[in-house]
Amino acid sequence: MPYTADISRANPACFLFLIDQSGSMTQALAAQPGLRKMDQAADAINRILDTISQRCSQGMDIRDYFHIGVLGYSTNATGGPIVTSILPGTTPDQPFLPISQVVDVAEVEERQVRESDGAGGLVEVARRFPIWLRPHAEYGTPMCQALEVAAQAVGEWAGQHPDSFPPIVINVSDGAASDGNPEGPAQGIANLQTSDGNALMFNIHLSDSGGMPTLYPDSEERLPPDEYALTMFRMSSPLPESSRSQAASLDLSVNENSRGYVFNADGTALVQFLDIGTRAASNLQ
Amino acid sequence: MGLRPSRIFETAKAGNRPGECEDACRDSYPYNGGSARIAVCDGASESAFAREWAEILAEAFVRSPLDLSSLDDASLAMWLSPGQEKWDRAVPWERIPWHGEAKTGAGAMAALLGLEIDQTTNEAGAFSWRALAVGDCCLFVIRNGTLAVSFPMDSAAQFNNTPSLICSNQANNAGLWQRVHRLQGECLPGDLVILASDALACWLLQERESGGKPWETLLEFHSNREWDDWLQARRSERAMRNDDTTLIIVKVE
Repeated sequence: MPYTADISRANPACFLFLIDQSGSMTQALAAQPGLRKMDQAADAINRILDTISQRCSQGMDIRDYFHIGVLGYSTNATGGPIVTSILPGTTPDQPFLPISQVVDVAEVEERQVRESDGAGGLVEVARRFPIWLRPHAEYGTPMCQALEVAAQAVGEWAGQHPDSFPPIVINVSDGAASDGNPEGPAQGIANLQTSDGNALMFNIHLSDSGGMPTLYPDSEERLPPDEYALTMFRMSSPLPESSRSQAASLDLSVNENSRGYVFNADGTALVQFLDIGTRAASNLQ
Repeated sequence: MGLRPSRIFETAKAGNRPGECEDACRDSYPYNGGSARIAVCDGASESAFAREWAEILAEAFVRSPLDLSSLDDASLAMWLSPGQEKWDRAVPWERIPWHGEAKTGAGAMAALLGLEIDQTTNEAGAFSWRALAVGDCCLFVIRNGTLAVSFPMDSAAQFNNTPSLICSNQANNAGLWQRVHRLQGECLPGDLVILASDALACWLLQERESGGKPWETLLEFHSNREWDDWLQARRSERAMRNDDTTLIIVKVE
């Protein structure tokens, strides 16, 4: 059965994040007018990387269950595509770092947050937040180009890890590609394989148009009224069967037609679907 | 007549170092003839300092008295308390990096299977036993070549990745009592008692559901090397999950 490869340090999995850094990302989100899409995109990446780091943490140490890459895409003033590798010391061709090194390159900010005091009240406590990506946006959206660069990097990674869980590419964008229809290049990624199955292409869609937040829809009829939603949905792989039981344990409702597509909602669960060991989910929320 | 001391095999998940094994087991056979106690714990690898917690729980089960027949919510919490304090003292709180902060604060999680067997026979010539389980480490009793007891799981389909667990932080043990399973029974001379952490327990039930007698295989290991080789082969062919794996065999004679 595909998507059942054991994920361990001997057999790691990989995530490659693509982040839209085009000018349209400066627009406000429909649901949160005070927040720009670029803020939300950076926040999504930082939260997801934080989640992956925490999943691999043993308290003091961190286990290299995952290799991580982050590519940003925009254009210059004349429309020339720019694809940059965000993690220090990496390139678009070689974007991956093991999670233990990803943790080391985070800038850690301390913020005061309000948390439950366990007795019905709130208490303000200092929490540390890791930052890898700052909001940034300019010019065009060479999504096709970015997907092609990603396919190259992911294909190489799959060649080096032929029996690993297939690579997962997560694209964070408003969907307004300026260099053509991205469905073909996205399919190019989904066609890549390890012995455990095809690479997975997921999308986190940030929109300035209305529509209810949507998680893992199972049909085109359930998509929000956004002009790019259909394309982003079609670009998204179905959630593998092995992920669906993990999703259920996170109280997410999915079925065999659900796709890795999230609209104006928290996509953190996309990195929690993979099994890296016994969870504490039955006790801890 | 009596219990032959446990044979114990323990192997870390492939890809991890032996010192990173989050399974822990302990046994105790008092010379004075009191009850033998055996514990298998499986630390949840997605929690922090899980190995330390599994070790503490297993040690507590064989060293600290826990009356399994009169156990209730309050006495279980009271019994857990010294171990939880020990875990708390073992954590280097001031040096925890940001990625371990939330997890460590939430506490470590582990499954516990504890077995207590009388070392002397009752009037019926049997050895009485009592067992407690939270999670998916399993107890099996084999009698006359058949599986007579399978506790707390009795089918391979019951295993998943979110078993019930005991937390080192009591604040996160809400509802724990509802997840405690208890069973008592009797062993007879000739019985085989097997304790197994989840991956092996699931394999055993799968094999049995296919009509096999997997315990016969488990009796064939004469060395850790033979056990390790067999385990790696099962993992390679994906017959068994790659996970920390513990096997304890007690023969009743």
